[in-house]
Amino acid sequence: MILTVMQISCRRLLHNRVELLLTFIVPIAFFSIFAVIFGGGLGRGTTPKIKVVTVDEVDSVVSRLIMSALKKQESLRFVREEESSQLSRSEAQELVRNGTATMAIVLCKEADQLAAQLLADASDQVASQVVSAVVNRSIMLSEAEYQVSQLGVSDASESGDQQNIAATNVGNDPDAEMLGIEESLSRKVEIVDVMGEGKANPVVSMYASGIAVMFLLFGATGGGGALLEERENQTLDRLLSTQMSMDQLLLGKWFYMTAVGVLQVGVMFLWAQLVFNVDLVGHLDGFLMMTVVTALAASGFGLFLATLCKTRGQLNGLSVILILTMSALGGSMVPRYLMSDQLQQYGLWTFNAWALDGYTKVFWRELPVDALAPQLAVLLFSGVAFLLAARTLAVRWESD
Amino acid sequence: MNYPRPTPALAIHDLRKSYGDLHALRGVTFCLERGERLAFLGPNGAGKTTLIRCLAGLTRADHGEIHLGGKPLKSVEARKHLGFVPQEIALYRDLTTRQNMVAFGRFYGLRRSELRNRLDWALQWTGLGERADDLVGTFSGGMQRRVNLACGVMHAPQILLLDEPTVGVDPQSRQRIFTMLDELSESGTSILLTTHHLDEAEERSDRIVILDQGQVVADGSIEALVKQSVGTQRWVRLRIDRPLTAPLRVGAAADAALIGTTGEDRISTRIDDVSTHLPGLIELVRRRGYGIVDVQVEAPSLHHVFLHLTGYELRD
Repeated sequence: MILTVMQISCRRLLHNRVELLLTFIVPIAFFSIFAVIFGGGLGRGTTPKIKVVTVDEVDSVVSRLIMSALKKQESLRFVREEESSQLSRSEAQELVRNGTATMAIVLCKEADQLAAQLLADASDQVASQVVSAVVNRSIMLSEAEYQVSQLGVSDASESGDQQNIAATNVGNDPDAEMLGIEESLSRKVEIVDVMGEGKANPVVSMYASGIAVMFLLFGATGGGGALLEERENQTLDRLLSTQMSMDQLLLGKWFYMTAVGVLQVGVMFLWAQLVFNVDLVGHLDGFLMMTVVTALAASGFGLFLATLCKTRGQLNGLSVILILTMSALGGSMVPRYLMSDQLQQYGLWTFNAWALDGYTKVFWRELPVDALAPQLAVLLFSGVAFLLAARTLAVRWESD
Repeated sequence: MNYPRPTPALAIHDLRKSYGDLHALRGVTFCLERGERLAFLGPNGAGKTTLIRCLAGLTRADHGEIHLGGKPLKSVEARKHLGFVPQEIALYRDLTTRQNMVAFGRFYGLRRSELRNRLDWALQWTGLGERADDLVGTFSGGMQRRVNLACGVMHAPQILLLDEPTVGVDPQSRQRIFTMLDELSESGTSILLTTHHLDEAEERSDRIVILDQGQVVADGSIEALVKQSVGTQRWVRLRIDRPLTAPLRVGAAADAALIGTTGEDRISTRIDDVSTHLPGLIELVRRRGYGIVDVQVEAPSLHHVFLHLTGYELRD
């Protein structure tokens, strides 16, 4: 008996291509996709670069040396480089706040000593650590280089211990004293969080939006599955024999799925406000705009997938692969700033990336709603484009 | 005085539809009169579903015309008068009876008081008034069939297309469904139904159309079809008390025929008139020394007509 049950189950599995696909191929495909994304296959050799702006308030020989050393760092990408010389601290801070740069490196004087302040976007927790280390190193090297040049040593690096060189020469050089190189390095580089200050629980909003977008997509494909269910049990035929057109049917489903999506994300953020202190009420306008267009786009995507597939089994398999891949690439699972530059560019082909950028602008950067224009436009366009594609594919169901 | 012939409720002329090399419909032509009940029969793959889909506007014919009440099928006005009930239970099983009926009423363009009136009528018609607020998914197959039917007639269509309306239901539910259809027919609705239950077609329709290999092979009342195809003779089957030792000779010497097979205890033959020929046949058998155990007389039925016209070969 037991053997017969096993045989029947095995034969049914062999006869069910979708189940076979989900059992054996999807895990391999999904593993491969992640391996390619995060294992260096995609964007290999393009390590993530941190977008920085620099402000040199000191404008001394050493500060210029430091700036020069920083620009040689491969881990940094200088934005607004041509303007850097004219940027003020507040302007640089604004660039960080609006997301143009992840960090602003400000060289300044504190109590007549050279210091570096890193105006940081704390949402990128890796960037702070990396830039801090890079700036420390550059300061050390530059000061050493300066000291060596003062001593007439041609190649300081040959000594192998720049800090010692600098330290041994402090007492001989008044300029060096003024530069404060006897101070410990940790005091020289200060990280200033210009984004998270005063916010109750800011990073949670980013995770909330990441999860919300992923589940919007799952919800939307579930809604699209209802269309296939209607087709399978002939309800679709029946509906189309009434006075309702396919246009009305798809639009009705699109709006419904959007409304449910908005409600779904709304409830999630309400929970985030109540439990995790995310300031939903304070950002209601931007939140609503982003949520509506993201839900519209996700709904259009769900309908597109549903009309693309023949059965719900196909839809389930395809949607799992696509949504998890989009979520991985788009930053719903892992922050995009951890990805290589190339991978971050690929991410822009996903809903998730645009939606998360939008939510970040709303909750993290607290930008005015007009700053959401690119995200709103891309998501709205995507939603309409997918809806039109779904409409085109649904022609085959109307009259064969 | 000659009165103009009324426009048929449904007129189909030279309808053709092919799927690649498969010719599903090869010039189908027939009419459905107002208030008429027409049963549409055919073996599997005959083209019934394709025809129903064409009539419901779900499949575009390659050639031919369909007129509903004298207007082309494509016109919105014409489609308002068409009701379609698919073979599957095409309902929202997670909605209640009332919610399903209201939804389909709206899809058919009913609003406000008109919708309310039709809802009340449909609940009464289906006998499901007390289950109006129960989920359809919790119903038996027969009850779901009734709701399925009601949702197709919420807008009081002049023509109702039914694809196998009683498949998978018990005899009581079938009876109930046909009683409902009788009520619709009496109120003037023309009904076109496809079925594999030949007895249903025979008992519940005014006219039969038989389709085979995409063509209409018979169209008429039961009586007319029987007369045209298998004739009106009755089948007589006699069971005798022992096997025949030799076939029996029947009739005058000039046109005598042999009936029965040596070694069998059953004799079958056809007779024109039961009242005169059957006593003669029984007497003949007795005279030959056989006792009669049982007598069966069978009038030709739609079953015979169907097999006569479409053959005995399996089609799928």
